[in-house]
Amino acid sequence: MAIAKAERLMNLALCLLGTRRPLTKRELRESIEAYIEAAATGSGGGDEAFNRMFERDKDDLRELGLIIETVESVDGEIGYLARRDSNRLPPITLDAEEAAALGLAAKVWQQARLAGAASGALQKLRAAGMPLAEDPYDPQPAGALEPRIPVHEAAFEPLMLACRDRRPVMFDYRKSNAAQPEQRYVEPWTLECWRGHWYLAGWDRERAAERVFRLSRITGRVRLRAGAYTAEVPDHVTVRETVERWSGETATSTARIRLRSGHGYPLRARALHTRPLGDGWDELEIPYGHGLDAWLVEFGPDVVVLAPDELRADVVDRLRAVAKG
Amino acid sequence: MAGNAIDQTRRMLSLVTYLRERPGARVADVARAFGISEDELISDLDVLPLCGTSFRGGDLLDIDTDGERIWWHNPDDVAEPLRLAADEATALLVAARAVATLPGLREGDRDALLRATAKLEAAAGEAAGASSRLSVTFEAEGGVFADVDRAIAERRRLWLRYYSPARDELTEREVDPIRLFAVGHTYMEAWCRLSEARRTFRLDRVAEIKLLDEPADPPPIELRDLSDLSAGLVQTGAEDPEVVVEVGPGGRWVAEYYPHDSAEELPDGGLRITLRTPDPGSLRRLALRLGRDGRIVSPRGLADSARDAAQRALAAYGE
Repeated sequence: MAIAKAERLMNLALCLLGTRRPLTKRELRESIEAYIEAAATGSGGGDEAFNRMFERDKDDLRELGLIIETVESVDGEIGYLARRDSNRLPPITLDAEEAAALGLAAKVWQQARLAGAASGALQKLRAAGMPLAEDPYDPQPAGALEPRIPVHEAAFEPLMLACRDRRPVMFDYRKSNAAQPEQRYVEPWTLECWRGHWYLAGWDRERAAERVFRLSRITGRVRLRAGAYTAEVPDHVTVRETVERWSGETATSTARIRLRSGHGYPLRARALHTRPLGDGWDELEIPYGHGLDAWLVEFGPDVVVLAPDELRADVVDRLRAVAKG
Repeated sequence: MAGNAIDQTRRMLSLVTYLRERPGARVADVARAFGISEDELISDLDVLPLCGTSFRGGDLLDIDTDGERIWWHNPDDVAEPLRLAADEATALLVAARAVATLPGLREGDRDALLRATAKLEAAAGEAAGASSRLSVTFEAEGGVFADVDRAIAERRRLWLRYYSPARDELTEREVDPIRLFAVGHTYMEAWCRLSEARRTFRLDRVAEIKLLDEPADPPPIELRDLSDLSAGLVQTGAEDPEVVVEVGPGGRWVAEYYPHDSAEELPDGGLRITLRTPDPGSLRRLALRLGRDGRIVSPRGLADSARDAAQRALAAYGE
């Protein structure tokens, strides 16, 4: 039976952390059982099997945070080591309340990679002496808030890694009103979750402009592209403002409407002024931005637009389309 | 699975450090400290004696357990706390910053979280850098949130005026709150005394809220797993009526916002969407909103009611 990967990774990590001088690939290959086995069983291609395995394992350990140095000796041989001082967690002292707060935060991810990383971080902190906070007899105290960060989009993980490593990507993207997806070539900057949906901000190379993409509209796979970024990454990226503009939340002026009494609570909640007209109707002044016409039409005969004319015309136009059936 | 091997390796490295400081540690305590089951811990303890700290081999970790306590007979100084990886720092920092912005969070908890975040940023060093490339904002209605939170803590009943978009009306109800959760929006799960059923309330639709003196008395119910909940907060059943909506390219967003059984591509770039809802009347709003970008195909009565509403609305404009 092949030796479990976790055992092999653990041995490699312990060897690299335990040594005071760089170890050559040959030394590692002769001292870790899984490598001896891989080199022996790879029928002729044993060297290649070992090399591939070794490279992957080093990458995996680096993902776990290990800093592995590559040192060339005087006779040209490459050696590897993970120095204790560069791999040690700096001293950190957390009290029980702080530990409990981080414990709550670590549970919010509903995405396997980040959930694993968050537990891994807590375990490292625990090993460094972070106290255990929860009362063992009441693991879920009454009133505890349960925040969760939803991640349903397949594009999330590749884009998260691309943002982290600053790698350009290509993907097919279908704009909300387009039937067919179009290929986009993007330098990803940041990912932001807003109202339960994930958005990517980045530099669109073909449009030579900053763009925001909604992850649920990415179809197919995200492909990594070679090369460096061509545009400067800004300090602040305004994903939220862009999304709010899409959803019409940045009002540019106001509108006047008549609203039937007892109806349209969300409109009332946003109204700047409300005046009862005394005939079963109220007159409201509300913020007017992109998308207001579609929203007002939802209220059917309970809303009448008074001003401006442009909004009135848009609403009538929409109503006619529905009235025709 | 490869993902599991990586998580297990990460855990075992921390475990070694942890055990070194605690000779004779109890299996149950260690499992709890690491947030894993005792079985998972035992399987880690099965692997550790096969791992060594010396490249020459033969120098293996002599860790064993009798199922109750854990002993390490040759503790080695290799086991120092390890620095955080970029993903680890990101996962914890982004989550901590997001939770800290929840308006209804108790002040003591928020302070503790902010202190912990600052310490973590310092300890993570450059590994914390990538965490600025990911951010999450929760939404919560501050005042409403605080009242619900208090009602849960004090086990008291709540009175609400709650907005139902489906009927465009406010209803008054008394509810026994069970828990608060945030998945994009913030929600309260509660036992509704009016409908005598479990209901989920979106906090931004609470128009008014009051704490009552009566104690909350929800029947014992099993909590649904939040990961199931977030996949679709509206629970629809196979017995619910079927609605068919046809949309043009400009109405494709419907498939993103409404859980549906199927979405068939149409030749004009639109979609034919089949969905189920316990209350088809609530889709009249959708039909009105869609305008020329789509229409309800069936049931017939629903399509008629949308057309009728539009005609009555037009009458007010003299049409």
